[in-house]
Amino acid sequence: MYPWLDRSGRVSGLKLSVFLALLLPGAWIAVAWAFATPDPAAGGLIAGAVTSATDAMPVTKALHEIGLWTVRFLILTLAITPLRRLAAWPALVQIRRMVGVAAFAYAAAHFFLYVVQQNYRFGFVASEIVLRFYLALGFVTLLGLSVLALTSTDRAMRRLGGKTWQRLHYLVYPFTALGLWHFFLQSKIDVSEPVLMSGLFIWLMLYRLAYRWNGEKSLALWHLLTLACASGALAMAGEWAWYEAMTTLGGSRVFAANFSLAAGLRPAWWVLIAGLAMALLKLIADHGWGRNRAAARTRAAA
Amino acid sequence: MWIRKRRGWEISESAATPEHVFRGRRRFLRGAAGLALAPALLACEKEAGAQGDGELAEVDPSAGLYPFERNARYELDRELTPEADATSYNNYYEFGTSKNIVKAAQKLPIRPWALTIEGMVEQPLTIDIDDLMKRMPLEERLYRHRCVEAWAMAVPWSGFPLAALVELAKPASDAKFLRFESFLMPEVADGQSEPWYPWPYVEGLTLAEATNELAFMVTGMYGKPAPKQNGAPLRLALPWKYGFKSSKGIQRIVFTAEQPVGLWQAIQGSEYGFYANVNPAFAHPRWSQESERLLGSGDRVPTQIYNGYGEFVAQLYPDQNDRRYFY
Ligand code: HEM
Repeated sequence: MYPWLDRSGRVSGLKLSVFLALLLPGAWIAVAWAFATPDPAAGGLIAGAVTSATDAMPVTKALHEIGLWTVRFLILTLAITPLRRLAAWPALVQIRRMVGVAAFAYAAAHFFLYVVQQNYRFGFVASEIVLRFYLALGFVTLLGLSVLALTSTDRAMRRLGGKTWQRLHYLVYPFTALGLWHFFLQSKIDVSEPVLMSGLFIWLMLYRLAYRWNGEKSLALWHLLTLACASGALAMAGEWAWYEAMTTLGGSRVFAANFSLAAGLRPAWWVLIAGLAMALLKLIADHGWGRNRAAARTRAAA
Repeated sequence: MWIRKRRGWEISESAATPEHVFRGRRRFLRGAAGLALAPALLACEKEAGAQGDGELAEVDPSAGLYPFERNARYELDRELTPEADATSYNNYYEFGTSKNIVKAAQKLPIRPWALTIEGMVEQPLTIDIDDLMKRMPLEERLYRHRCVEAWAMAVPWSGFPLAALVELAKPASDAKFLRFESFLMPEVADGQSEPWYPWPYVEGLTLAEATNELAFMVTGMYGKPAPKQNGAPLRLALPWKYGFKSSKGIQRIVFTAEQPVGLWQAIQGSEYGFYANVNPAFAHPRWSQESERLLGSGDRVPTQIYNGYGEFVAQLYPDQNDRRYFY
């Protein structure tokens, strides 16, 4: 069954557009690689249009970009359930599996690019994975994601049955955490993007805890405001702790940068903003389109 | 990264063209430009003021000196890296954390540019880069360059031996180290607006290292003035050390008795040390240093101890098995 078909075998506009959107970053990176040239004049018009970057090490660049998209897609996968509930948009569940499988595909491509970067020395790659803790983390994450992807065909899902499948796929939480850890550890010094992604991950996990704690009933606005502030604060504290524990630089200078705009908004604020956006989404959905949708459904039923 | 990128338009016009740059241009115009040329140059001076260092930056007053005569003593075991690769893949955190900082770096004003030599020296001095070049023995050398990130290139550098500069400064007898300080201009260098890094870029050498014949002050490459992204107008080339030791955009050299703390050492001391001599036997905590990927071809070649320059520098370091010298 193709990913753009719905249960009844018809083309779903939602699924088709998400499917194409998931291909886009990879296609972009591939095109940028194909036209990569250190000499912008030699690359001609196409290179100028598709790549802002001229690049002498296109493999390394693609490796990094694909890694980033892997994490983004994992976060997006985890965001679908909260989005579906807050926006009162049940159909979103149809795309969750596709985004998750895309995250795995990107992770696999990321690993392959590492092998290319190491000039296909497979034995060396294996020894590096054993020797370097951050690579071992990435490798375990990749193995985990591959198990989740392989059990995501229609057949595997049917064979496992809903409950078992669900229980197995809760593993996506720890695997995402391991992937984020790999992301932190590979940083040279700047962990702004890992902090941002981890802050979003914290929100997604807190949301799930709160939903359970609330007896699986929709969260109230004040719950969501609390979640937003808590995940922003944790991101800020986590960033401080990282620099404090892992660098010679220490945490206080970076922490202080949170309260200055000299270098733009620091990641913890973006986490807060994302959390507030979720609260806003609920507000709009409750008062606006949620009612319209309900009305439309009643009309359709009638 | 988008979190803290500053847009071009956020930089005020006065910041984009600092006053001394403007004055420098005037001086240059008076001196070099013939009467017939002057109106055209004046016209682009206006433009440059509005855009932040524009066309005039291309006219390097030292350009006429190049190419320098090649010193045949320093031979390569590999092809020169294509110029386009060596000048487009750059680590220069002052202008951002990606390798593609060519555009951002063009904002750096490189004339006038003064080098200050101070600290424990007989003759502290501040000297204009073009005057300095007149007093130094200029030559071209082919060197390998090994980045700590396990990529490498081979470059024809133009410049003069650091030893000649040390001789000019006449260090006091108790001076043991040189501290190299790069520019501090957060108004043009976006990366320096990240307030948590202890800018400016600092690196250091022992006096013995600095007077070793390999230590080279670079003003140009590929037979031309060096482009800004490669460290114009004055940088170091220390071919037996990892690339981060070879500071770019140097403005101050301080002779001291204390071992300087480099910027990378200050922010991540467990990964980047003071000596940072190339050695395949000591891995970076996150990757092997056994081999290097060549910029341009992508070929992988084995890394050599002291990047293959052991015959020149091995005697500086008492113990080849002491990690202290190799990270
Ligand atoms: C065997 C598996 C993996 C290997 C060998 C691997 C290898 C690497 C390497 C070599 C880097 C660049 C480090 C550097 O340049 O210093 C990197 C970066 C990265 N990896 Fe992986 N990785 C693996 C799995 C994963 C997985 C499963 C994820 C996601 C969950 C991931 C996400 C990332 C991210 C986000 C970056 C940073 C990209 C950037 O900021 O530029 N990796 N990885």
